[in-house]
Order: sequence, then C-alpha cells, then structure tokens
Amino acid sequence: MAERRNDEVWTAEDLLERLERRDKFFVLDVRNRDEFGRFRIEGREPLPAVNVPYFEMLELGGKDEMVDSVVAYVEQHMANQLPHALPILSVCAKGDTSQYVAQGLRRLGYASANLKGGMKAWGLHYATRAVVETPTLAVYQVSRPARGCLSYVVASAGKAVVIDPLRHLHPYLDLARSKGLTIERVIDTHGHADHISGGPALASQTGSSYHLHPYDAIHPIDVLPATFPFEPIRDGQIFSVGQHELEALHIPGHTLGLVAVRLDGRYLFTGDSIFIHSIARPDLGGKAETWAPLHGRSLRKLLKLPGRMTVLPGHFSSLDEADDKGIFAASLDDVKQSNDGLLVLQRESEDGFVRYLLKSLPRFIPEYVDIKRINAGLLAADEDAASTLELGKNVCALSQAYKDSSGETT
Amino acid sequence: MSQSFDKLLDARGLNCPMPLVNARKEIGKLEPGQVLKVMATDRGSVADFQGWVKIAKNVELVAQETESVDGASVYIHYVKRTT
Repeated sequence: MAERRNDEVWTAEDLLERLERRDKFFVLDVRNRDEFGRFRIEGREPLPAVNVPYFEMLELGGKDEMVDSVVAYVEQHMANQLPHALPILSVCAKGDTSQYVAQGLRRLGYASANLKGGMKAWGLHYATRAVVETPTLAVYQVSRPARGCLSYVVASAGKAVVIDPLRHLHPYLDLARSKGLTIERVIDTHGHADHISGGPALASQTGSSYHLHPYDAIHPIDVLPATFPFEPIRDGQIFSVGQHELEALHIPGHTLGLVAVRLDGRYLFTGDSIFIHSIARPDLGGKAETWAPLHGRSLRKLLKLPGRMTVLPGHFSSLDEADDKGIFAASLDDVKQSNDGLLVLQRESEDGFVRYLLKSLPRFIPEYVDIKRINAGLLAADEDAASTLELGKNVCALSQAYKDSSGETT
Repeated sequence: MSQSFDKLLDARGLNCPMPLVNARKEIGKLEPGQVLKVMATDRGSVADFQGWVKIAKNVELVAQETESVDGASVYIHYVKRTT
C-alpha cells in the first residue's frame, strides 16, 4: 500500500486525515483494559481493533526485552488476529511503549506504525477548518476530534468573536495571529458539562468580554453562583462583528441558559441543541423531567428558522457526521429530514416527544458535575486533573447517537 | 511505616515500558521471598504494576506508595519474588 509521509510514525494530524478519508487500518492498543474501555480511537465507521495490555505481551512473551517479547507473544497468541493486508497502528498512552510494539510487528513482517504521543496526543489534538472564508466574512470551525467538541471563530473586518472556546487556547490565539484578527468577544452558548470551557481564560488573556446567559451562571446541582465576571446574554441580543451581526436566541433545554447564535440569515450556531445526526440530552443539570418539555419547545422554535440556514453544532458523536472536507455542518432543511431526534420531534406530540427524550438518556457521567463546577469557577483543576475529567468522547447527545461507535473485536 | 526490601531499582526518569521491563529483569536475579523496591516517575506504572502481577506467576505486589520529592511525584512499587 503506497503511503505518503512516514509509514512508521503517524502524528495525531495524520491519524485524523486517515480517519476522515476512511483509510483502512487496524488498531493494536496496548493500554490497560479499563483505559481502552473509556477512550479509544473511533473513525467514520467502526475500526477493527484489539486491546492487549503491553505488560501481558511482556510477561506472556516471556523475553527480557520488550521487542523480543512482542515478537514471541504475537507469534504464540495473536497470529490469527492481526491482518497482513492492512497497516497496523500501535497505540499506547503516550506513544513510547507502542514504538516497541510497532517494531516487533515489523520484525514479523507486518506493516506497523506508531501513533506519536499516543492517546494523550490524540486527545489533545485540535483541527481548524474554514466553513466559509471571504474578504468580508469568515467562519472557522475549531474541533477537538477525539472528544467530539466543536467551537467557532466568526471574523469580519479584522474583528473576531469566539463561540464556545475549548480548554486549550492556542488554536484561537494562533488563528487570530495568522489571520490578523482582534478577538473582541467570547460567547459561551451554555455552561458546559462535558468539557472545561476556555471562555473566561480566553477573554481575560485577550482583554475581550465574556458573555454567558445568566441562568447558566448558576451551577444547577449546587445552586451556587459563578465566581468569575461575565456579561449576561439576553434573548434577542445583537452582537456586531465587523460588518456582520450575531443574534442570541434563548433556547433552554439542555441547560436553562442555553442560547443559539445566528449569523445573519445564513449560519446557526446551535450549541448543544441540534447536532448533525442527533440532539442534545436534557438531563445533565439533574432535572430531566422538568427540562425535557422546555427542550422540545426550544427545538420547535429552531425548526421555524429558514431551512437554508447552515447548522453549526457544539458537538459530534461520530466523525461520520462530517462532510468530505471534515466540516460538521448541514442545512436546517437537511437535518430536519435526517436527524434522529428531529424526525421524532416532527411526528410526535409535545408529550410524546418528552417520553422519547426521557427514555433516550445515556448514562449520567459523574465527572460532568465537577466539570460544571469548574466552568462556574467553583472548583479549580490543574492540567492533570483537567485531562482526567475530560477523558474520552463527550456524551451530550441522546443515546441513539452512540450505537455502533466502536469496532472492538475482542 | 517503611517497607523493607532487598534490592532497589531506580527507574526514575524512564518512560513506559522501561520501569516494568527493568523490574522483571531484576526480579529474575532475586531469591524467592526477596523484595524489589522500584522507584518510578511514570504515573502509568501504578496501574501497570498492578496489572502485571495479576498475570505473572512468580511475583506479588507487596505495597505501592507515592512520595513527593522536590515537588515531583515518585511512584514506589514493592514487588516480592514468590517462587
């Protein structure tokens, strides 16, 4: 198989490109089983993968050196499980041990590559794509692919507004520098549960204003107010960005203070309401029964907007929701016809839709309560604690979004 | 309370998998009943030593500790050779 670049080392960026292109490859993940269970590489379609902790290869391979043990282990225990026709990507936590594994596989004649920096680097990888880029208006989608988190930079006439910035600020600062943009405002569409917002930090670092709906400046479970300064967003509030305008639409449901943001009549930043294939869950504030009817009404309000508007969501659940340029976007008309949750919304009564929501809740992620505390300034987390809390893919959509997302074979 | 040991392996500064690879070699040189103390800075070594002793037939994890040395964490594993 002809490969560009280095066959033996894939960076996180290479991995993303290959997943987007639907390249065929096999994953041999040598982390602990519980680490693999919580967070693994997922593609546009299920990836063939096998998980064998490296210490099992070392012990059961029985040699003194890691590479020799890998060779012995694979010959004795895995010969029928590994494909000769596909590249095999060796994966571990930080990319060190998997080098030895890839080397052992190559010694046995397999085409094996190492994921540079391991799952840590994959989890921290950001990608920036232009949704539109004209002399008067640009919209960039900044994603963290391993987590399924999406954020946006809207730019016009040298000014920029950042919507839902993620925890690491370098993608936004780098983009602003390379495009000559001044970040004037930072908007959080809501108080996030699945990831730590970069909003307050980005606003303070760039001297811009930080905007949040006041209902989301109260932790829903602790019922305590946020400790950082913010400018309260009003329903219908207009924010100018260069020659264009953004309008906030209050759409409570996923949170009480959730807002969507519309850019002219063309783009709709939906936050955690409408995703491309699914819709957001209403239970992360611990009030599913009370919030589910609000969620239904807010979604109906969004469906009345012009169908040609482009939906730009806050999350994805599968890379397969991206178009062929790797951008997560679709017209409102298209999502009305293909989105699981919106199809139910359009055919059910208000009560019927609430029943559907309540029976479609994925498991509650306990870490999300603490993440909301951090996002309200009620709790601090260093880099280690933050990455542990943020481990793996977001679970912000209804359960239907998570079917068939893994390709585990053992 | 300090755990007794017969040999010390300083694996500080080594990345995965070397703390475990080197510990296996040292265990091979011990007599049954003797204990190896392994010092590592790789945080992943904590779970890895726990997983390893479950499948290795001749070792037992006597204790694990974390010490702070000059603000950096050192993960200490006491591994006994059993047979």
